[in-house]
Amino acid sequence: MSQTDDMVTFIQEHCLWQFHSRAWDRESNINGILPMAFQILTGETPKQETPDERCYFANANRLAAEMKDDLPWLEGLRKEELADVIDRVKDKIEDIAVKHSLNGELNQPGY
Amino acid sequence: MPMKLLECDTLIPERERHIYIKEAGEDTTQFLPVSDSATIPGTLSERGCAFCGAKLVIGGVLKDTIQMIHGPVGCAYDTWHTKRYPSDADNFQLKYVWSTNVKEKNVVFGAEKLLKKSIFEAFDAMPNIKRMIIYTTCSTALIGDDPKAVARAVMDERPEVDIFVVECPGFAGVSQSKGHHVLNMAWIHEKVGQVEPEITSPYTINFIGDYNIQGDSFILHQYWEKLGIQVLSHFTGNATYDECRGMHRAQLNVVNCARSAGYIANELHKAYGIPRLDIDSWGFSYMSTGLRKIGDFFGIQDKVEALIAEEEAKWKPQIDWYKERLKGKKMAIWTGGPRLWHWTKAVEDDMGMEVVAMSSKFGHQEDFEKVIARGNEGAIYIDDGNELEFFEVLTMVHPDVIFTGPRVGELVKKLHIPYVNGHAYHNGPYMGYEGFVNMARDIYNAINSPLWALAGQNIQEGELL
Repeated sequence: MSQTDDMVTFIQEHCLWQFHSRAWDRESNINGILPMAFQILTGETPKQETPDERCYFANANRLAAEMKDDLPWLEGLRKEELADVIDRVKDKIEDIAVKHSLNGELNQPGY
Repeated sequence: MPMKLLECDTLIPERERHIYIKEAGEDTTQFLPVSDSATIPGTLSERGCAFCGAKLVIGGVLKDTIQMIHGPVGCAYDTWHTKRYPSDADNFQLKYVWSTNVKEKNVVFGAEKLLKKSIFEAFDAMPNIKRMIIYTTCSTALIGDDPKAVARAVMDERPEVDIFVVECPGFAGVSQSKGHHVLNMAWIHEKVGQVEPEITSPYTINFIGDYNIQGDSFILHQYWEKLGIQVLSHFTGNATYDECRGMHRAQLNVVNCARSAGYIANELHKAYGIPRLDIDSWGFSYMSTGLRKIGDFFGIQDKVEALIAEEEAKWKPQIDWYKERLKGKKMAIWTGGPRLWHWTKAVEDDMGMEVVAMSSKFGHQEDFEKVIARGNEGAIYIDDGNELEFFEVLTMVHPDVIFTGPRVGELVKKLHIPYVNGHAYHNGPYMGYEGFVNMARDIYNAINSPLWALAGQNIQEGELL
């Protein structure tokens, strides 16, 4: 299994935020959380000024910590390599949870 | 072909779109069961009605509220004492049932006068209670009664009372899920923002989608107290009507049951900018993850770690004892929807069990995306399963224990397969660390009970022991 697939499987199994009710909620979460997880994994401190950012951080911090425990290959990656993996993972999660999802409710305008 | 047409469904081939068996390398962009759709005529569905979703699941939990069911008395009786959600208000919500007791003459001549009379009668009989929810039912919706007009008239006459009207008759949707939706949306639009809560902590949350089944909320409340977190509204376990009117002041919505109450969390985000954080409150690993996320949001990580250490020291040896004995046992989960994805990995991680079949009565495709992502390859995933399908699935996967409701539970008991109440629990609470030990104990006792072997003996022949 590739590193990308390994991380996608981990996120699919562990993260409820990718499955929020509508496409725009899922996109916001994916775009908010995965870049923060990258920052945390590379030792940076993400911005946490708004309530939404603090919520993304709560999810991203846990994701980063649990991935460090479960995906030992993360430790050997250089920053650019990790950036590539996270980019590919983000695309793949967007494909599964948003773009190619068979969930017929994702684009209903209201909740 | 991962979508599966069971043999019993030969005459209703549409059922194939509702049953999936997961295979290696697949994801939910390839196969996703059809769900939240009308039950196919000819199947013996186990679903509840839309009214039931509003009243039995959410509204009826409130501990200080008269639940006036505007319809025939059966609608009230059948949604009264069938769910065990206690409260610290002397279990007011479990003791009484209220109905306008609509009869044929009311169907012919209208039932609004009867409703008004019943409202006054209930408030007069319980002078300390000032809050009420009125539910329409199939019959009173069909005759065109206007319960909102009646409620307004009563509130004009008695300004000290407040009444919320849920217009969700049983036929309004395909399952109880519609009732969740109607109550959520009406509550946020009509009641939230009317009461200003007293803020006593720098950390405030709404805990959304927990109904205090056998005391789940009481366990969680211990955690919030230790963390110094003020729960403005527990939607709706052990909550009051007015607490749920003050949801708009919380800093964070923590969501457990996204199916029954994700709607109000989404609307609170949209209207008031309160973010939504979904967690799983069942299971050791999940509970710790959820608490740590809340700790990260508020910056109280030290307190959270101390709480987790304390709880694990107390309960981990017990769950490990059961894990040793439950390892490899097979489990089926045939409940409403969210518990499939809340439990499938939790019982595997914390109890060593294997979940082999899951059926949802009212889950949407979102729920199937979650459970298929988390669940096993080879497991069977069913939407709106019916009786014959359950029998056939049993011959395919041979579970050691089945988590389901009393209706299906009685069926499987006759096959001498242990069942545990997956809706209202056997000996709960099941949430949190302590709760998951209770759940493991119920599973262990169910599987190891000598009754199953005894029940299989033919006592009509030979000597009785």
